Amino acid sequence: MRSSTILGIIPLVLLLAMGEATAHAFLDHAEPRVGNTVATAPHEVTLWFTQKLEPAFSRITVSNAAGKRVDVGKARVSGNQMSIVLRATGPGAYHVTWHVLSTDTHTTDGNFSFNVSP
Amino acid sequence: MPIGVWRASLSGLAIALVPSTAAVAHEIVGNRFFPATLGIDDPGVNDELSIPTVSSSNTGDDPSFRQRDFSAEYSKRITDAFAISVGTTYSRLRAPGGPNGLGADGFQNLDTTFKYRVFKNEEHEFVMSVGLDVEWGGTGAARVGADPFNTYTPTLFFGKGLGDLPDTLSWIRPVAITGQVGYAIPGRNSTTAFAIDPDSSASTFDTEFHPQVLNWGGTLQYSMPYLKSAVVDLGLPDFFNHLIPLVEATLQTPVVNTMTSGTVTTGTVNPGIIWVGNTFQVAVEALVPINRQSGTNVGAIAQLHFYLDDIDPHGIGKPIFGNAVQPASPFPGN
Repeated sequence: MRSSTILGIIPLVLLLAMGEATAHAFLDHAEPRVGNTVATAPHEVTLWFTQKLEPAFSRITVSNAAGKRVDVGKARVSGNQMSIVLRATGPGAYHVTWHVLSTDTHTTDGNFSFNVSP
Repeated sequence: MPIGVWRASLSGLAIALVPSTAAVAHEIVGNRFFPATLGIDDPGVNDELSIPTVSSSNTGDDPSFRQRDFSAEYSKRITDAFAISVGTTYSRLRAPGGPNGLGADGFQNLDTTFKYRVFKNEEHEFVMSVGLDVEWGGTGAARVGADPFNTYTPTLFFGKGLGDLPDTLSWIRPVAITGQVGYAIPGRNSTTAFAIDPDSSASTFDTEFHPQVLNWGGTLQYSMPYLKSAVVDLGLPDFFNHLIPLVEATLQTPVVNTMTSGTVTTGTVNPGIIWVGNTFQVAVEALVPINRQSGTNVGAIAQLHFYLDDIDPHGIGKPIFGNAVQPASPFPGN
């Protein structure tokens, strides 16, 4: 096989890959930011993913350092964004766990922490 | 002497011990994304395509020569946990610095891997698979060192992310290790070549013993995507959040039937980097030989790799039997 033949294949495959990609939904960023410390307790946690989500199969839970859930109600999903409201919280470490289903039926999980300064 | 003839007269150890195709596979286990690595195969199974993988290095033969390989590999899931991959490599052998046209070109043997994921623990980011690699003898060109007999390599693969470390070690959580241990069994114990000495007219013969070889190796990876999404978002430019720097080691140790091959471990240590996108990845690594028998210079390898399960999850990227993903059910609450 000539190397030029191989190189000729690349654009074709790139076109395939650059098409309307669906793919696994990975966490792109969050607010409060992953691993960061915020000055005031947030009223909600919002996650942005790399793909659109299926609302019925996507969730977030938020727990405090004692392991007690501090999220309230159902997660709101809009496109690639998912949010959940928090009850009144104080300083300390908080743990966010998420599980999402992207619109192409791939599931992914993850978790991270953030802190609220005293 | 043309390299093609020269190659046929060599023990062929160096080429025989180099995997004929680049490794593929990527895997997601909980928070952890195990990328496809170039030197060793990954611990999971998936639908994917590596094209091209290109490498250049000087072999460990004496005298050494320059080898350039162009490889492709396609992996297809039969079920969610079982995949078959087929790979091929085209080699160009040249004397380093020698004139163009002096050397040998040709395909290496076709390679097929049957791989089954036996265990996956998302909480501890651990995955393990078993596989059987078959190199089909006689499908490649002898002038570039392809053997005329099959070689069978049962292999164990594993991957472990360190995401379950405590908060005090959070900066180490993006680290993952993967490894593989395989045992290559040639379908033929030895090959004897007969010749007539032109001076004495006496018949001579040369016997080459084909060793059984332990193929082992591993990777040490630091995932910037993991750092950003699960440990701390440093606000870095997006390009850096897609990088996975890593070091691979691919090693081969002849262990049985070693009368002509010797028992010296050969292989390379490959520092490099992978850029991971949503549907493809690009990887570049240096090939650092661990001793003279493994090569005479620092080579390089690069690969473009496509995640077919992400590009076309309901078509070519779907297992033949079963769903594209495991069945899901709505969560209680929330």
